[in-house]
Amino acid sequence: MWRKPEEAKPSSKPAEKREPASSAVSTSADSTSAVHALVSNFASTPQPSAPENSPEKDEPSVAAESSPSHISSGLKIRGEITGTSDLLIDGDIQGKIQMRGCKLTVGPTGRVKSDIEAREIHILGRVDGNLKAAESVAIGNSGRLEGSVVTRRISIDDGARLRGKVEMIRVESSAPAKSEDSPKHVAAASAATAPADSNSSLAVPSVAAAAAAAASSGGPSPADKEKA
Amino acid sequence: MNWSAKLRPAGPPLSPGPASKAKPSPTPAAAAAAPASASANVRSSNGLKEFLWLLSDAEHPRILDLGNVSQATLNFFINKGFRISTEDILRSWKEFIASEEDSLRRMPPGQESAKVSQASLAEKFLKDGVNYPAENFNGVLVWDLLDYLDSELMPRLMDRLYDILRPGGAVLAMFHSRTPDRYHRYRVHDDHSIEMIPAPTIAVHARSFQNREILDLFGKFRSSKAFVARDQLREALFLK
Repeated sequence: MWRKPEEAKPSSKPAEKREPASSAVSTSADSTSAVHALVSNFASTPQPSAPENSPEKDEPSVAAESSPSHISSGLKIRGEITGTSDLLIDGDIQGKIQMRGCKLTVGPTGRVKSDIEAREIHILGRVDGNLKAAESVAIGNSGRLEGSVVTRRISIDDGARLRGKVEMIRVESSAPAKSEDSPKHVAAASAATAPADSNSSLAVPSVAAAAAAAASSGGPSPADKEKA
Repeated sequence: MNWSAKLRPAGPPLSPGPASKAKPSPTPAAAAAAPASASANVRSSNGLKEFLWLLSDAEHPRILDLGNVSQATLNFFINKGFRISTEDILRSWKEFIASEEDSLRRMPPGQESAKVSQASLAEKFLKDGVNYPAENFNGVLVWDLLDYLDSELMPRLMDRLYDILRPGGAVLAMFHSRTPDRYHRYRVHDDHSIEMIPAPTIAVHARSFQNREILDLFGKFRSSKAFVARDQLREALFLK
């Protein structure tokens, strides 16, 4: 007989306390539950009253300084978005996104029609626009991108869609922030590209597994985006 | 550029790109891909070898991959100093047709115009699809897509490919001599081999070209070269 693990009991108060720490309330759809689970992991800030042997204490506090924000499905935003916090988009965005030094995830239900600039960009939904990532771009199996990519590393899952140009940032020094700020470092050749396997997993495999099918229909032509 | 004008240097190794000359040792990514050589789907490709050789003179050649996007292919070309663009044209075409049919279905009865034809659909598709500046690319990877594309779209696509290729640019295409067992995706394995990955069918095999038909299809191109493998998959290179 299966026994329910003790950790799963609802009596664990630290887990309940963590939820308000998230900067945005997520009324999640089923398809995005894995995404929200991931976000809540990142959003968890250590509670002062947490017991010393709590497993959460050993986790790296990635979001201790900047907890990820969440634009949930059903929200539509038109306009520029800038910030210094990681961002998860499950809604509909039209407008430039500049999140330098941050990680941006477009969830399975997310749709972005704009250029994106961030440290890391993960696409599980649909993006029509050019991407510039100082560190990496990952397109999950449900992800669809129409636009050019400029980054240091790229990871593309089977089933992902990419329509556009790919350019890799040459890494000449160990300071990636510099290469982001200076366009002259942008070049085709790169020694630090992504793993060769086309089935390489995303940094967020649980999200990729939970991803729903990408939406279809056309977008602006790659030529237009190259001009932009 | 043509084959007579460009004599291959003696010796087996090819020098397919400017970056590869500076990096003789394999990258970690390439080393990681090496165990895949045991895969039965890997096949030797003289067409790819020749394609790389033809583009080896260009500095940071630009290529367009019209097949499924593959990270291995991206990595391969990027590591060699290429600039690569991708566009999964077969899937885009299928989605376009599906959306057109859907919009026709939603029209009130009597308004679904008799103007809709395969030719007009192909024209409409190419307004946005494969829409790049003229003479933008040094090479185009077509794989075996022409076996699957609509007969109205195909000649228009060839015109478009001719336009976006630079003079001396090359097209690598493949043609099945008989109906293949199943649909495959292609990805570059190394300098002289490709991997055929069985994939869910997104289109039925429409035709098996005769050699003369292939030459007619690429009539605008000034030079061609073909290779026939033991599995009867023909690889053809065409130069602008």
